Parts: sequence; structure tokens; C-alpha cells
Amino acid sequence: MELELRDVSKHFGGIQALNGVSLRLSGSQLVGLIGPNGSGKTTLVNTISGIYKPDDGEIILNGEEIGRLKANEVTRRGVGRTFQVTRAFRRMTVMENMLVPALAVPSDRGHREIKERAREILSFLTIDHLRNDYARSLSGGQQKLLELGQLLMTDPDLLLLDEPFAGVHPKLMETIFEYITTVHAQGKSFIIISHDMSSIFTLSQRLVVLHYGDIIADGPPDIVKEDPAVIEAYLGEDEDD
Amino acid sequence: MKYFLSLCTTGVIMGVIYALMALGLTLIFSILRVINFAHGEFYMLGGYASYFILSTFTGLHPLLAVPLAGLIAALIGLAFEIAFLRPMHQGRIERPDEYAILITFGLSFFLMNLALAVFGPYPHRPPSFFQGAVRLGFVNVSADRLTASILSLALLTLLLLIINKTWIGIALQAVSQNKDAAAVVGINPLRMNTLAFGLGVGLAATAGALLAPSFLIVPDVGAVPSIRSYVIIVLGGMGSIQGSILGGLLIGLVESLGAGYFPDPSRALNYKTAFGLVIFALVLLFRPRGFFGRKEV
Repeated sequence: MELELRDVSKHFGGIQALNGVSLRLSGSQLVGLIGPNGSGKTTLVNTISGIYKPDDGEIILNGEEIGRLKANEVTRRGVGRTFQVTRAFRRMTVMENMLVPALAVPSDRGHREIKERAREILSFLTIDHLRNDYARSLSGGQQKLLELGQLLMTDPDLLLLDEPFAGVHPKLMETIFEYITTVHAQGKSFIIISHDMSSIFTLSQRLVVLHYGDIIADGPPDIVKEDPAVIEAYLGEDEDD
Repeated sequence: MKYFLSLCTTGVIMGVIYALMALGLTLIFSILRVINFAHGEFYMLGGYASYFILSTFTGLHPLLAVPLAGLIAALIGLAFEIAFLRPMHQGRIERPDEYAILITFGLSFFLMNLALAVFGPYPHRPPSFFQGAVRLGFVNVSADRLTASILSLALLTLLLLIINKTWIGIALQAVSQNKDAAAVVGINPLRMNTLAFGLGVGLAATAGALLAPSFLIVPDVGAVPSIRSYVIIVLGGMGSIQGSILGGLLIGLVESLGAGYFPDPSRALNYKTAFGLVIFALVLLFRPRGFFGRKEV
């Protein structure tokens, strides 16, 4: 998997959400995307996943420009994502939620095989016993797990997770941790947005820090966390300086 | 009691057809979030299309004109959705809510005036499906209305099966629940919008073609059925398929019983639509979400 963002910009009215962002991901990487509120993290994920179209710049996935594609077309090219506020299909059962992506993205699997795969993923995520329940009856954390399960049904190469740990019970957080490490070990790439610093520093091989739509740091977590620009972005400028 | 049961039978027969038309409106609203103000004109179009087909191909059995009329309307609906509603869903229209109202109203006037120009102001009626009446228990029902009702019931069942058991139906449900979430799992919401609009107006036209032998067709024949459909979908809960079916049956029964028990039989039929509106007002007062309506989360 090769993803390259070249000078990607996005604005909403007078607000410049992304300001010429350039980024390159190659092979199987686990990238943490952090930054203060309003720094453009979710906008970046929305732009890569086709929810937004960039105003300027290019998004190249495996040699193909995907910046102008619709979200469903980006998904079919192997990019999956979750949302900060879960968007599981609330009036469908857990199993139906799992089947929707598998039916939408063409594959060689038969219906029975798809169901078996769904059960396998649900078991891994510890929610198989809830497969006949409506998504609306699940807790917030269980809905996050369901969304992660839906992602795997399309077999993506790049997974974009928007705040996967937010508001999740510590026990379910362990499951999400295991999910990320296991799926990453299978050769998939991740871009994970999180405000949970201890989780993101533990998980990530690389940290990208956004601030007011600009990348202010990009590198290994140990180095990034000592970066003065990052410290300043999070803690604010010292008034004495 | 016999009289009551006979009124109920008539009410159910008409209610099923009302449900078919309202289901089309519901489908469009739940997927596109657009109230189709031209829905009644597609009903009218179905009637005229059926009349035109049967006048042109005189040997054809009248029942065969029904699916053809539905198909013609569906194709017009598909073309209209792609040309005029899709830009709205692509974010190319600055004020989409106002635009949707104006553009469907515009279509309504266009279709009505087109019918006036092509067929003139005089009433038309395609030939009957079957002559005479059928005895159902205590009541004689016109064979045409009974046929229309049975076919509507079959179509409603088929549609429920498609929506609940097929991939297309599940994709439509997904889009109706959350467009962005549907898109990121690989569904094309724009295509589903087009499909829903085509299907929705096709159902309205099918209802029009089914009732055409029972009622005269004039350019504004769709006005009352469209008002009735709006009442039904609000009654059932906006966007609810079960609600549309239940609402259709309820309105059919209320209209039939209201007209049957109205003190002055000479005026009873004139007030038929008003009885449904009374129920509508009561539902708005006591359960504004309708029977199956959901609270917004």
C-alpha cells in the first residue's frame, strides 16, 4: 500500500482546515495522527476517505489519484474508515451491519463464506453473542467494535480510525488494542486519530502532528513528543517568551 | 353489522391501493429526504400512460398496460432525478431544501400542463380489466377495484421482500439510515437516490394505472391522491414503510366508514377526503411522530 498526499488543502468558508498537507505512507505502517482540537485531523481523514474533496492538491493511492473519487469508490480501492461518533446502521442487527459492506464491495466470497467471516470477526471482537441484536441496543463501546468489524468485511489495506478509544470502557479498549495490533501484523496500514495520548504513543510507529491545518511534526513518537513545536501547540506559548 | 362489514371491506380494498401510492412517497422521502410534490402527477401520468397504451395497441389486455405505465413513469423519474435532484445531493445547490420544494413543484405543474396539452381537458378512461362485480361476503365489489387491490397487495408484498431480503433493499435501508456511513462501506448513495426516486414514482404511476378504469382521468386527477399520500406518510411516521401500509389501510377504512355513516348520504362522498384529514389532525395533535415515526437522535 502506497499513499501520498501532495499539498492537500481544504477550507470551509474562511477557515483553512488543511493547509497544503503533504504526507507519504509506504508499506504497512501504524501512524498516529494527533493535534489539538480543530487542528484538521478529522478533515484530513474525511479528505482521504472521499467524504470531502480537496480544494487543492492530490491524493495518490497505489499510483492512482483518488482525491476526486466518491467515498464508495475510495472504499473499493482498499481504504476503510470509522467515525468519531459511530455510524453503525442503528435499525439493523449486528449481523446485518456486518453483511452490508461485504455485499457492497464485490468479492469472490459466497454468501455463506461471508457470513462465516462475519462470525469470525465478531468473535474476535467479543460481540458475536450480540449478532442478532439491533445496533441501537449496543453500548457506545460495542458500537465502536461493530464499526471496526464492518471495516474488516471490506478487507481494506488502509484503515483510518477516528478516535477509536473515545468513551470506551477499559475492557473494550483492550479488545480494540488487540484488534489494531493483530490487523497491523497482517500487513495492513493504519492512520489513527486519538486524544488518548498514552494509547497512541504505545501503538504508533510514527506520529504526525497537525496544528491549524499544518503538519508541525512527523516522526517516531519518542522524538515527536520532545519536539518544541508540538509542546507549544499542546501547552500554548509561554507568556514570558 | 353487515353494513359495517361491507364498509370495512370497501375500506380495506381502497386502503391497499392508497398504501401503494404512499409507499412510493415514503421510499423517496426516506432515501432522498425530499418531499416529492409531483407525486400526484405521476399517479395521473400512470393513468394517461395506461389509456394511451390501450388506445394505441387496441388488442392488448388492459392489465398489461399497468406495468408498462409504471415503467414509463419510472424511467421519467430516473431521468428527472439524475438531471435535477442529483446536483442537490452532490452539494452543487446552495439551498437544497428550498430547491427540492421548487423543483418538484415545477415538475408537478409541467406534467399537469403537458397532460392538458396532449390529452386535453376532457376526461378519459381506459377499458376495464374485468367487467362486472364480484360478491365478497356481504358486499358487491367492482371487479376492477378488486383486481387493483389484489395487484396492489401483491406489489406491496414484493416490495417488502425486495427491501428486506435483497442486496438492493439492504443498500436502500443503509442509505436511508446514514448516507456517509453507507458510502464508506462501499454503497453509492447517488445511485440509490436515483433508484428510490424511479421506484417511488413508478409505484405512484402503477396505482394511477390500476385505478384508471374505476375513475376518470383528467390532468388534475392526482391532486386528491397526492394529498392523501402526504396524510398517510405523516400518519404512519415519515419514512416508515410499515407506517405507510398501516396508514393507507386506516385512511381507506376511515373514508369508507365516514362516508357510509354520514347523516346526509347525498353529501357523504364529497366529504370522504375530509374524514381522513380529521384523523390526520388528531394524530398531529396527540402523536406528531405518527405511528412508526422515530425521534431524531
